[in-house]
Amino acid sequence: VSVLGIGHGNKLLTDLYNCHLTKVYTVGGLFGKATDDFSDTGKLVEKTTFDHITREKLERILAVIQGTNHKALLMHSNIDMKTQEAYELAVKGLIRPMGKSPPIITAIRCLQFALPEFQLEIHCLHETQQYLRKIVHEIGLELKSSAVCTQVRRIRDGVFTLDDALLRTQWNLQSIQNAIWDCQLKVKTELEKTLGHQDKSRLHEMDAAMAHAADS
Amino acid sequence: KISSVACGYGFTLLSSNTTDIIKVWGMGLNKDSQLGFQRSIRDRTKGYEYVLEPSPIPLPLEKPQQTRVLQVSCGRAHSLILTDSEGVFTMGNNSYGQCGRKVVEDETYSESHLIHQLKEFDSRVVQVVCGQDHSLFRTKKGAVYACGWGADGQTGLGHYNITSVPTKLRGDIAGVNIIQVSSYGDCCLAVSDEGDVFGWGNSEYLQLASVTETTQVNVPRHLPFKIGKIKEAACGGTGNIVLTEEGNVFVWGYGILGKGPNLIETAVPEMIPPSLFGWSDFNPDIRVAHVRCGLSQFAALTNRGELFVWGKNLRGCLGTGRMEDQYFPWRVTVPGEVVDVACGVDHMVSMAKSF
Repeated sequence: VSVLGIGHGNKLLTDLYNCHLTKVYTVGGLFGKATDDFSDTGKLVEKTTFDHITREKLERILAVIQGTNHKALLMHSNIDMKTQEAYELAVKGLIRPMGKSPPIITAIRCLQFALPEFQLEIHCLHETQQYLRKIVHEIGLELKSSAVCTQVRRIRDGVFTLDDALLRTQWNLQSIQNAIWDCQLKVKTELEKTLGHQDKSRLHEMDAAMAHAADS
Repeated sequence: KISSVACGYGFTLLSSNTTDIIKVWGMGLNKDSQLGFQRSIRDRTKGYEYVLEPSPIPLPLEKPQQTRVLQVSCGRAHSLILTDSEGVFTMGNNSYGQCGRKVVEDETYSESHLIHQLKEFDSRVVQVVCGQDHSLFRTKKGAVYACGWGADGQTGLGHYNITSVPTKLRGDIAGVNIIQVSSYGDCCLAVSDEGDVFGWGNSEYLQLASVTETTQVNVPRHLPFKIGKIKEAACGGTGNIVLTEEGNVFVWGYGILGKGPNLIETAVPEMIPPSLFGWSDFNPDIRVAHVRCGLSQFAALTNRGELFVWGKNLRGCLGTGRMEDQYFPWRVTVPGEVVDVACGVDHMVSMAKSF
């Protein structure tokens, strides 16, 4: 999923970026190898056994990762924890770093597990591809083995999911216009929800911008 | 392997259900011999008033290699130890009869060797709970006994005097099969097998205001909350918390209740949104499994082994890594799956299984 903006949509892209919404990836991994760049095409550095790894052990490690990242969420989000506002945000799940921050994983779970392969779903903020590969490598180390990353696929970027994505065969004007119409409401709701509590006056600007984007 | 842990007012008890001779360890304050007699190494006639590392507590057991310690509980200056076949052992301060024995005038509790044994109950005692200066015993038949300080009605015996012999409670719990009791300050809660909750004791902080305006309730009263069947309850100093069968957490009372700084007091239970414990569309199976109370803190354990805390952060007892009070549930990073947690006044102990 790769989000593109057309015309006035470009302004919306900046606003969406400022929402700091999470992106979701499916990451495929393979136990038993370790390479220098953490992917399966890199130079092989080490080979290990992996028969001792069970799905349960993997899930426990994932829980730890989620926990440590949870704390990082708070530290970087610059919210005063003593306020009622902080409580409201926490309930809605909106405590997120609204500025620059190192990559943070908000949720991680195991989708498939078939030794030596496994697939994870990772929700994260401010990540890089290398960071995701490194996570796979570290999971391998924690399980007293090693792992390399075989696949990284973005399945969601903020409000845009795989279902909204246009296939290569659909790259024509009519489909693009339809897609913009469909997404309009979703984008608007998300922007309102996240940025709404910050600045209500800007919402009117965004409304106008979105109407333009859909018509042109 | 430690199976039970309890935090008192400045001291901690750990116990294992082993058949070895040493089954209980204690550390912290020992000015009232709440940790038994800890012989000083320097002067063998004297005992330690402060125990700085977990030290064995010798119990006068008839069958030390067969009897197992099931549970421990700590109050302000007294401790209760529950065994499977030799009743309950009590140690520590007895100025109000909280140890279940007659009050001795001018008794010196410091450096005392006295450990009292309680055996006279209608059936086997299955849970012991220490309030601030009183003790509660729950038996297998579902009855509750109490002894100790009663000025707030926390003994639930219909009067405000002290009681030095464990006596059965009546009131709204007469004939009811109680499956859990809880207390830490001067208020008490009991849960029945049908999911009802009963309370008695101090109500200065609206803990029992849903049934009465009086600030001291000396007979167990049914609290008619319509929040679902209650599975577990925990009492703190000024606030109470319950867990329902559906896995929802409700709080009421006074203090930092867990819904932000604006909720300071309520007489009626308010639910804490499950999203604060990690529940989301992404993780719909997360449920709170246990709730615990310290004097001014709350703790909740989820079915994933995660620990969430909130309340006053005295001396960093919440374990969040910060010194500020926490106004809503926050996850504590523990290097292991948390199995149980005990909250004290300004410290907390959790038992965890490593990954």
